[in-house]
Amino acid sequence: MKLDGKVAFVTGGRGGIGRAICERFEREGASVYAADLTKTGSLGSGGPGRFVQLDVSEDASVKAALDLVAKENGRLNILVNAAGIEIEKTIEETSLQEWNNCFAVNVTGTFLTSKHALALLRKAAEAEDSASIINFGSYDGFIADPGLAAYCATKGAVHALTRAMACDHGPEGIRVNAVCPGYVDTPMLQSFFSGDGSGGGGKTMDQLQQAVRDVHPMRRYGTPEDIANLVNWLASDEARYASGQLWVLDGGLSAQVQQMRL
Amino acid sequence: MRLGGKSAFITGGRQGIGRAIVETFRAEGCSVATCGRGARPQDLAADTAWHCIDVRDAMDVTNAALTKGNIDILVNNAGVQVEKNVVDSSDEDWATVIDTNCRGVFNVCRAFIPVMNEGGSIINIGSISGQVADPSMALYNASKAFVHGLTRSIAVDHGPGIRCNAICPGWIETGMLEAGFGLAGNPTAARDDAITRHAVRRFGQPNDVAAMALWLASDEAAFATGQCFTVDGGLTAASPLNPGLF
Repeated sequence: MKLDGKVAFVTGGRGGIGRAICERFEREGASVYAADLTKTGSLGSGGPGRFVQLDVSEDASVKAALDLVAKENGRLNILVNAAGIEIEKTIEETSLQEWNNCFAVNVTGTFLTSKHALALLRKAAEAEDSASIINFGSYDGFIADPGLAAYCATKGAVHALTRAMACDHGPEGIRVNAVCPGYVDTPMLQSFFSGDGSGGGGKTMDQLQQAVRDVHPMRRYGTPEDIANLVNWLASDEARYASGQLWVLDGGLSAQVQQMRL
Repeated sequence: MRLGGKSAFITGGRQGIGRAIVETFRAEGCSVATCGRGARPQDLAADTAWHCIDVRDAMDVTNAALTKGNIDILVNNAGVQVEKNVVDSSDEDWATVIDTNCRGVFNVCRAFIPVMNEGGSIINIGSISGQVADPSMALYNASKAFVHGLTRSIAVDHGPGIRCNAICPGWIETGMLEAGFGLAGNPTAARDDAITRHAVRRFGQPNDVAAMALWLASDEAAFATGQCFTVDGGLTAASPLNPGLF
């Protein structure tokens, strides 16, 4: 098993993608903390990994969660910053509070969790074990989806932060990468399709979903497991030379010029 | 066995990155054929088929595709470099670099895509040099940008049956890297300086690239297509300014 004996901490661990990551990490032999706001998360049920209550935007909450990891393990090999929210609005419709919330979770959350995890990651690296941070960017950090302005901006910030962290902490043996999913079948995607900003244009939800699917060279949406496959690779020692990169996993969507006709 | 029951054709398996990919795929249960311009290398494992072909020659390549038949994985690794700027590059240099790195990849893809199985994966070896320029490597840099563009086109045109991605290695310890340092006034100083520019403080090994190729070749990467994945130890994530300045 690829992650035997490693300790992993996954934020958003009860969400669509985070849950699949926790499940995969456990299968690969890691000891996993699934950190989320609530025990059931966005899917409304329990899941793999040991649950830790966490609000990534609150300094004290993040510190308390990582203090627990320190007490129980004294080190951390893998940090996955998967907690994220989206606001389905243009900037004109977005209130200051919504904007701040989106940045608080997606950007500040990544900052705070990484900041408090660094000492533990360094411990793992010093023991010549692997230490890897995997942030969640998005293909929306490169190209925009309609009505997602604040979300797109937060993902661009995560991309830049990923490179900066890789540059600063690489010499300490800590690799930092971001996974940038495209359309992945999760509660967040369902919300996007039903939201006002999706550009539905009177089409039914099924028509809209089929039209978007057909634009993908792979002719399907991603699954949380697809994303977990890549996260698992980046967390493993196979990826020991991969750092500072943004890994787009989108079924080929962004390899082509815009041609959606919804 | 992550590639059990699969069959692969890997160009340029004589040495370096190509050989590492051959060995990695074999170890994961893949049936491997590779090729190069001369006789079969003596240290190539007996179960690995060798095709003595030049990827620049379309007829050679077509014959190899017909002989080899159906495959699941195609790796376009064969490549050459010439260390010159535009003004110094001769027509012969153009023919060497562009015919191998561009026409070769085109020849191989054109011949093999029709004999690839549904669910197949093409992995092209691009380079960070196709995204940012290495000095005095004009034609090589441009040839790798071609590979990246062709990668996206194949992904868009031949999905969902075939996935196509590129790996963009950074500085990998091979003969090609040594040739690059040979250009410096003080090769040892150049080497030390280059290492401090890598966030992970080392050069890559051929196995680092082979590990990415293995992931892309496997069904784990079933949603990955049309992308250029960089494996460079953090080199291109940082500014090219000399780190000693800070």
